[in-house]
Amino acid sequence: MAIQRRVPMREQAPEERIKNFKSVPLGYSKEEAITEAKRCIQCKNPTCEPGCPVRMDIKDIIYEIAHENFEKAFLISKKDNAVPAMTGRVCPQEEQCEGVCILGKKGDPINIGKLFAFVADWARENGITEHLEIKESAKKVAIVGAGPAGITCAVDLRKMGYQVTIFEALHMAGGVLQYGIPPFRLPRDVVDYELAFLEEIGVDIQLNHIVGQNVDFSELRENYDAIYLATGAGAPKFLKIDGEKLKGVYSANEFLIRVNLMKAYKFPDWDTPIIYGDKVGVIGCGNVALDSARCAKRLGAKEVFILYRRTKACAPAREEEILHAMEEGIIFKEMVCPSRIIGNDDGWITGIGLIKTKFEGIDKAGRPRPVNIKNSEMEMDLDTLIIALGTTPNRLFLSNAPELDTYSWGGIKTDDSFETNLKGVFAGGDALTGGSTVIAAMGNGRDAAVAIQKSLNE
Amino acid sequence: MKHVITRKENLNSADYLIDVVAPEVARRFVPGSFCVLITIPEGERIPMSIQKAEDDKITFYIKKLGKTSRELDSWKVGDSLYKVIGPMGTPPPIRKYGNVVFASDLVCGHAENYAMCKELIKIDGNHVTSIQSFPTEVDVYPEKELCDTVADKFILATEDGSKGEKGHYLDIIKDLLEAGKVDQVFAGGAIPPLRDLSILTKKYGVPIYATVRQIMVDATGMCGSCRVFIDGEQKLACIDGPMFDGHKVDWEAAISRLAMFKNKEAEAMECYNEKMKGVK
Repeated sequence: MAIQRRVPMREQAPEERIKNFKSVPLGYSKEEAITEAKRCIQCKNPTCEPGCPVRMDIKDIIYEIAHENFEKAFLISKKDNAVPAMTGRVCPQEEQCEGVCILGKKGDPINIGKLFAFVADWARENGITEHLEIKESAKKVAIVGAGPAGITCAVDLRKMGYQVTIFEALHMAGGVLQYGIPPFRLPRDVVDYELAFLEEIGVDIQLNHIVGQNVDFSELRENYDAIYLATGAGAPKFLKIDGEKLKGVYSANEFLIRVNLMKAYKFPDWDTPIIYGDKVGVIGCGNVALDSARCAKRLGAKEVFILYRRTKACAPAREEEILHAMEEGIIFKEMVCPSRIIGNDDGWITGIGLIKTKFEGIDKAGRPRPVNIKNSEMEMDLDTLIIALGTTPNRLFLSNAPELDTYSWGGIKTDDSFETNLKGVFAGGDALTGGSTVIAAMGNGRDAAVAIQKSLNE
Repeated sequence: MKHVITRKENLNSADYLIDVVAPEVARRFVPGSFCVLITIPEGERIPMSIQKAEDDKITFYIKKLGKTSRELDSWKVGDSLYKVIGPMGTPPPIRKYGNVVFASDLVCGHAENYAMCKELIKIDGNHVTSIQSFPTEVDVYPEKELCDTVADKFILATEDGSKGEKGHYLDIIKDLLEAGKVDQVFAGGAIPPLRDLSILTKKYGVPIYATVRQIMVDATGMCGSCRVFIDGEQKLACIDGPMFDGHKVDWEAAISRLAMFKNKEAEAMECYNEKMKGVK
């Protein structure tokens, strides 16, 4: 008889963690991990595995953990996933592997994410690395963007023997793992360690290279046998309402880049500053909105509000993150839509106009559609506003590659094998989908690697 | 890549120049483009105008303003910057404009002014006048760094008349506009005079490209910090600019947003001064 309840994850207490940027979950001990892994009933036809975008051998990994073969578990996970310590922490497991776990029917599903993070952390602490024998090929592949899709595709192609160069615009690799997700969800020693693996296996990462600006796209096309465009969806969406020019109004990207990439929480020891007030509002209720809200809280804001036009029950954010945010005192104001941002004569934000919403019908994505309630406008005092409405594909690269076919919303067009209208040029990740999860982008990177291999062998 | 400083000279008591090895930037430099400097790993990403690119080196004019620019001033030839990234931005085309007037009154403007003049003068049909104004005599750059060697006509001005003509560039350009001999104005430097110049040129129906300096973080179009409002439409100074049609810029927003981090910049400076006291 399987144990119905999962081994609880020890976490930093909310009143403590709102004062620091350290990891909220403290991680499983060996014993806890084994106990949790032993709950797995090792289904004959595991439902968890088809749910995984990078197709990890979940059942086998859990089996090895249950039998204390952590090294073996790590090597199996590494086979399909270049960065298991990261995905273990940021994947929406509840919608993927864990969401379809048989144990979830009567009790808690296996805590797959935390087990995978445990194994990868254990390997890091014990110096276990994957030894690869690479059969070198002379063929060269250029990858544009060192985010989840780019790094996954790079690792897979490198394992196949290709000479892989990643061109990254920022001064650090990782994409959203670096600039977006805060360290309390994804500690930076984990990010650094897993990215170092790329260089260990011989992936050449060219930082500060902006394809289209200081490296010509045509140059890449001449010098490489194939190109994978993983330029991401980094451009912020704004509300397009009055007051967005006011000081104290941020896109979530700016707020998170200042905090995560530029370490503004260490100001003035680090040079990049950040400004927040006592009352911070965040528009939206996805993971990025919650990350922004929780960062603001940690920086020292007294009251932080999530302003959302639906209810948190139908929010795109992960349940675990909503729970963590609530524990940390983030206040959820549901069923409100921003109408205008209010400012003073000095150009600083002082508040926001909100209209109450109600549900009417269902939208294209199958979620209840919020509509504004007439004459329900109200005002709320705020001194900082963070807009977290999602992003669109980066136009810096696209504007320098006019020969590339794109959709009107900026996404790159490809065929079923991820090839664009330009022969030998493939695309993937958020540049293709317009905004998704880390793991979906990674899955896309894996699929593209296979397609690129096929095309190079033709 | 080691971004070694190969030359450092004082321009006056407040401004200095450095040459830095940055072949990736130098080989794709176009006049009016800029780059991002990170001096130390803990440093900010700072947008910086490029004065010129020669071989594998680029030249910056820097004003001792905040913590980073003062700290960098203590560096010597042979020291290396952590990162130099670029070129960035979408400068206006180098083409025939006719009678072109450049104006600048601050480091960033002087650098772009030099770079653009040098190229525009090569186009047949362009006559380039450069006006560089400074508050007073001691603020004026050494002659070889001014635009007198790269423009058809060069006007040096000081606001108190202690050197060159008396007045700000606004006063001098007004006379040229009045005379009706200007087809295109380019201007950079401090933002409030750029607003005034934009209003002035509009009155005379003369087009103007103004460098709208704004606060940037990544400078690759991701953060939206440098948003500039052009005829009500939002643009980004980092990738759409930083030069825009001055007649269409929402200058009040640009002036206001540039001051957003003023208190934090002062705080950083204070901390730096404290630290330096400890060093001595």
